[in-house]
Amino acid sequence: MRVYILRRLLEMIPTILMITLVVFVMMRSIPGDPVVALLGDAYTEEDAERIRAAYGLDQPVLVQYVIWLGKLVRGDWGASILSGRPVLSDVLVRLPVTLELILLSMGVALVIAIPAGLIGALRQNTWADYTATSVAMIGVSIPEFFIGVLLLLVFSIGLGGILPSSGWVYLPGTCPTMVCGVSLWGNAQHVLMPAIALGVGRAAILTRLLRSSMLEVIRTEYVTTARAKGLGERPVVLKHALKNALIPTVTVMGLQVGFLIGGAIVVETLFAMPGLGTFGIDAIIARDYQQVQGFALITAFAFVAINFLVDLTYTVLDPRIRYA
Amino acid sequence: MRPRLRPFGLALLIALAWLVATPPPSDAQTPKRGGTLRVSYGNEVANLDFHTAPGYEMMWVAMNIGCGLVNITPDGKFVGDAAESWTASPDGLLYTFKLRKNVLFHDGTPVDAAAVKFSIDRLMDPATKSGMRSFYESVHSVEVVDPLTVQIRLKHPYAFLLHMLAAYRTGLVLYSPAATQKYSLEDRKQGKPGAVIGCGPFKLVEWVKGSHLVMERFDKYFVPGLPYLDRVMIRVIKDPVTEMAAFKAGEIDFIASFSPEHVDTLKAQSPNAVIMTGKETTPMLAAMKVTVPKDGKPMSKERAPHPIFGDLRVRKAIGCYGIDRQEIVKIAFKGKATPWVGMNPPGTLDTVDVNALCPYDQAKAKALLAEAGYGPAKPLTFELMADTEKSVFNVIATVIKEQMTRIGVTANIRLVDKVSWMNSTLQDGPWDMYVEDLLSLITLDSNAYLSNSTSTWSHPRHNDKRVDELYARYAQEMDATKRKAIAKEMQEFFVENMYWNNISGSPFYMVAQPWMKGYVYNAEFEVHYDKVWLDK
Repeated sequence: MRVYILRRLLEMIPTILMITLVVFVMMRSIPGDPVVALLGDAYTEEDAERIRAAYGLDQPVLVQYVIWLGKLVRGDWGASILSGRPVLSDVLVRLPVTLELILLSMGVALVIAIPAGLIGALRQNTWADYTATSVAMIGVSIPEFFIGVLLLLVFSIGLGGILPSSGWVYLPGTCPTMVCGVSLWGNAQHVLMPAIALGVGRAAILTRLLRSSMLEVIRTEYVTTARAKGLGERPVVLKHALKNALIPTVTVMGLQVGFLIGGAIVVETLFAMPGLGTFGIDAIIARDYQQVQGFALITAFAFVAINFLVDLTYTVLDPRIRYA
Repeated sequence: MRPRLRPFGLALLIALAWLVATPPPSDAQTPKRGGTLRVSYGNEVANLDFHTAPGYEMMWVAMNIGCGLVNITPDGKFVGDAAESWTASPDGLLYTFKLRKNVLFHDGTPVDAAAVKFSIDRLMDPATKSGMRSFYESVHSVEVVDPLTVQIRLKHPYAFLLHMLAAYRTGLVLYSPAATQKYSLEDRKQGKPGAVIGCGPFKLVEWVKGSHLVMERFDKYFVPGLPYLDRVMIRVIKDPVTEMAAFKAGEIDFIASFSPEHVDTLKAQSPNAVIMTGKETTPMLAAMKVTVPKDGKPMSKERAPHPIFGDLRVRKAIGCYGIDRQEIVKIAFKGKATPWVGMNPPGTLDTVDVNALCPYDQAKAKALLAEAGYGPAKPLTFELMADTEKSVFNVIATVIKEQMTRIGVTANIRLVDKVSWMNSTLQDGPWDMYVEDLLSLITLDSNAYLSNSTSTWSHPRHNDKRVDELYARYAQEMDATKRKAIAKEMQEFFVENMYWNNISGSPFYMVAQPWMKGYVYNAEFEVHYDKVWLDK
């Protein structure tokens, strides 16, 4: 197991490097020069060349990448071309917001998906199944921003502003800056709508997946054996069937992290949250290469790390799985 | 039988009830100290070096952290800021400013003549790379007479020196020499504590890019009793729907710039909202490129006519007669803007209505195109660029595209983001026409750097020296009546040559909660929170 974990950890490095390289090359391939945005109306060709040289933008792309990588190894994530702020500190300020949003939206997804998937499978072809399947289909079809706007209209405008429409309040002890709103209740209020907006689509996917896995599992021989031995329906479903049915669901949950990060860009923009999503999209729009690289690095790491953890959870769900 | 009230008695009772229910008017108007003003900006502050950073959001911060020599009121009067009084010599070449005695920078150093000289010299220094430098072209030197007297000597008379010092972009923002020398430019740009030092009513507490900017009262501000607020908290909310929801829920007190297309919705959602607007001062234009580099090198001084719009007949056919400005305003602005051909929008000083020079006339447009060689046998096609910063640009581009088909012309819309637009336009890239609103204009003079023949920001890249000569004459004429005549001549000249193809003015809105008091609306030019107080 230790060897497996070590091997997987080592495998993460080239994956992350490959992602950052692709992002690096792509950003420099799309039209738009950050130096023009930086200089604005004071733009002159001479100044532009001087700044390109200062940031190494006059070098070939691969050389720029190697320079960036060299600095990264020394712990230097670079500085924003536009504001001059260190990328790492900006990323660290925004990371807790997005992390909490993603974790809670996954929580929302599971809270909806597990009962809905179970009901759909256990009451197959009944009105309960049809309802769960239809709701799941609607959930898959509605984009995050639409759900977000609906929630805003209902809870921030329609019901007299019972939930705040925007901004962020940190959990006690997590304020990364000098001035923060800090409160457990305030945090819960601020994260609820964004987490639902982001989680509903994922819930729909997981519901459908869990339903089909459960349908497959409850028809297997070991489940029939368990029933024949006189076990009640509840332990059969929850102890024997669900654990196995969750394996493909957990795999997809890991893959869904990528979608959640993408969705976070939309949801954070809609709810004006100071998270990594807004950081990433602002950086891309401004062609702030250093910030985009920071964003790509942290999201790639998060994606790879979570999928690694997903792989490890297989052993918990199915003791027959062993890693050598 | 119940006694009936006589009409007089009834009126007396109503009057008494009203008196009891209504607090005395003096109470309602007495400013209250304290509280945090929560402000929403639609865009991020670029950075906090006020002398070089672009964008209105930065300017609106600079105006509250910084102070200058003078400010301008909505009716165009100048009021002293750090300057107590000022005089101009009869020949208009020497301005003498007397400074107030008690003005301090936030680091405790005095605002004196040396600091004024330091700040202006810094802006004029090419090494500073300030976008404001061109505004100081007329300044010969700044001289310290004594600690509280400073003189600005001009190379030639400049009628708009005070306008420029008050409101061209940020206006003059004084920098503390001590803090500027102590901290690096990077420190200032990042808003490091101690690096951003002004002499305004608020001092910077913290700027977290993408999250918030916090300013708090400067207790040694030179105006006794001001500011009333303890703090100003600025947040960036880019989505107007979220901005409206936050406003309705009372999460924000003030929206510094609100999108015109959502004003009706906001009014319906928040009937008590105080919606502030005024005469339009920002031009919405459909610029046409006049020349291209002859040698293919961007920004080359060797110019050739643009293959399409290098021909004045085509520029006039498309820009003057082929565009129905009324229709654009009706669709894109729901009628809330003014169709305006002249380069000076309706709210700008010395504006002239020259709409009559460009009536919508499809027949005339077609005739001019035919004269230029375009018609069914050789149809005209051009690219119409719109950037995604504001949705209204795309709407206007779509209407223009439709209007072009009516005169047999095809306009292909290219939607780009702001940085791509800046790259294409600033670097003399390949574009034919674009839709944009540019700088808000307090005077016609302030538009020189966007439209004279030598400016980087003159995107059409016309090379007509007569434009420069007109601008110079206008700026140096000290007689207001004669100046107005030159302004008219200049605006007509621009329309006749279609160097600047205006569509309309661009309405500007600010929105405040009913409890936000004391704010004086002066469009984008002056956004000050020093007299603001919260009545709650």
